[in-house]
Amino acid sequence: MSTNILNEYQALMEAYEKNGGNIGEFANPNIPSIVIGGNKVLGKNQIKGLIIHSVPTSNGVDVKITVKSGTKVLYPMALCFGVIPKEGTQIINMETTIENNAGMNAISHCVFPNAEHIVHKMNYKINIGQNSFFRYKEIHFHGSKGGVEVIPYTKGTVGENSLFISTFTLKEGRVGKLDIKYDIDIMKKGKLELYSKVWAKEDDKVQIEEKGNLQGDEARALIKSRVVLEDEAKSKVLSVVNAYAPYSRGHVDCTEIVQDNAVAEAIPIVRVFNHLAKVTHEAAIGSIDSKELETLEARGLSKEEAVKIIVEGLLK
Amino acid sequence: MDGILQVKNLSLIKDKKEIIKNFNLSAERYSISAVIGINGAGKSSLAYVLMGLKGYKPDSGAIYFNSKNITEFSITDRAQLGMTLAWQNPSLFEGLTVKDYIQVAVKNKSLNIVKDSLYRVALDPSIYLHRIVDKSLSGGERKRIELAAVFAMRPKLAILDEPDSGIDAISLDKIIHLIKDFKKVGSTVLLITHRDKVAEIADRAFLICNGEIIKEGPTKEISLFFKEQCNECTHKNIPISEIVREGNA
Repeated sequence: MSTNILNEYQALMEAYEKNGGNIGEFANPNIPSIVIGGNKVLGKNQIKGLIIHSVPTSNGVDVKITVKSGTKVLYPMALCFGVIPKEGTQIINMETTIENNAGMNAISHCVFPNAEHIVHKMNYKINIGQNSFFRYKEIHFHGSKGGVEVIPYTKGTVGENSLFISTFTLKEGRVGKLDIKYDIDIMKKGKLELYSKVWAKEDDKVQIEEKGNLQGDEARALIKSRVVLEDEAKSKVLSVVNAYAPYSRGHVDCTEIVQDNAVAEAIPIVRVFNHLAKVTHEAAIGSIDSKELETLEARGLSKEEAVKIIVEGLLK
Repeated sequence: MDGILQVKNLSLIKDKKEIIKNFNLSAERYSISAVIGINGAGKSSLAYVLMGLKGYKPDSGAIYFNSKNITEFSITDRAQLGMTLAWQNPSLFEGLTVKDYIQVAVKNKSLNIVKDSLYRVALDPSIYLHRIVDKSLSGGERKRIELAAVFAMRPKLAILDEPDSGIDAISLDKIIHLIKDFKKVGSTVLLITHRDKVAEIADRAFLICNGEIIKEGPTKEISLFFKEQCNECTHKNIPISEIVREGNA
């Protein structure tokens, strides 16, 4: 490893650790991992049954992760993406394939601690075979300046009798500009759960568009968004469930808390194309519930302390 | 009489209606005082005024806590002096565990106090400590957690608004026991109820009708009056004083 790469790796690891990651995981030969700084693969570890193929490009990296049939990666694979300089563009083209009768848990940390003008784009393709699972957590840390533009677009298929759970969390530091898109097809008896938790401040802009397509009989989808907005922040959450198959079920649940001069918009769209399917939705936008506040104040907390507890709980 | 709470000539007008009328009450330290009345009599409104909730600022009168006039105090200030309220229909808190919810008000954050409080409301800590205070709880479970949280706080004054509502018959004895235990840990209780079995543990009772105290005295006497007169009352929430005044008894 050259000195530059080593320095970048160390800086990324420091930021990763600062934000709750366990850097020991990257040194453990039994834990699959990948570390990408800018357009460099700074570290990579494969295990039996899990193949990582990566190719650096001019402004990012193309990554293919394959979990072979019969392999179950239960201790989460560790992924770290980041840009340490103040400025830059990182484009990650990623594809994860979970073959039949296989599964993987994975935690991805995206760190941009010094960001003043960073664009992080991820084009993500997910293929989950039959009787398989993929539980994916993505945690972002953007520093305090808000100079990050994060654009993760995910398309995927959840195979028959399989499960995909994705949790996107961005509550540390500023959001900057966030534009998330999910478009997932769920096959027979497949299950999809999408969770987004975002805390936007100052002039942050949040756009979330999540779509679950219930293609197979008895397919299930839950799309749950929690957004807290302060100051002048703006958000738009579009949650869509399309039910095409009999006995498929879906639910959309969006809560946005609006404080100060922030503006929030929530659009739940539920479409049913089969009379044996059912999709429900709930959305709540507004200030913090006054009864919740008063309950905590009646235990001796100041208004500010009570707000913090309520908001942190909502985004937990 | 060593009154920890004194309410003097309290009135509250909401939507042009006088909800609390010239209300006077004194609660003796380390006692249980029951405020009894039918639905809509103003019992919960009284609790909210005492705790200083938004929209429940009295139009006249004064509230003294430990001889200090707290009428203009915020909810937080009242709570920090040692007052608190257990809501009749407690709020839900997404993402907050039962442990964290109860610990919010426990001064040294002692886990033993949290566990002990849960045991007292017949909830097994090994099952409930890490549950979330959200809609996954039944109404009865949430209610018991509310009482456990207030008990764990060891307040000087606990205002318990219908602590028995939503509680099943088997757990009711535990709740009654808990209310008595408040006295043992040095708390005074203002108990708002309309159930005889709960009211009878009080040392003294106040009968409220249409925002007014129409009778006060030993609990047995007030309970009996309530049972015989109020339950059969044909002019619900119109106090006798008004009926006599208006000649429409």
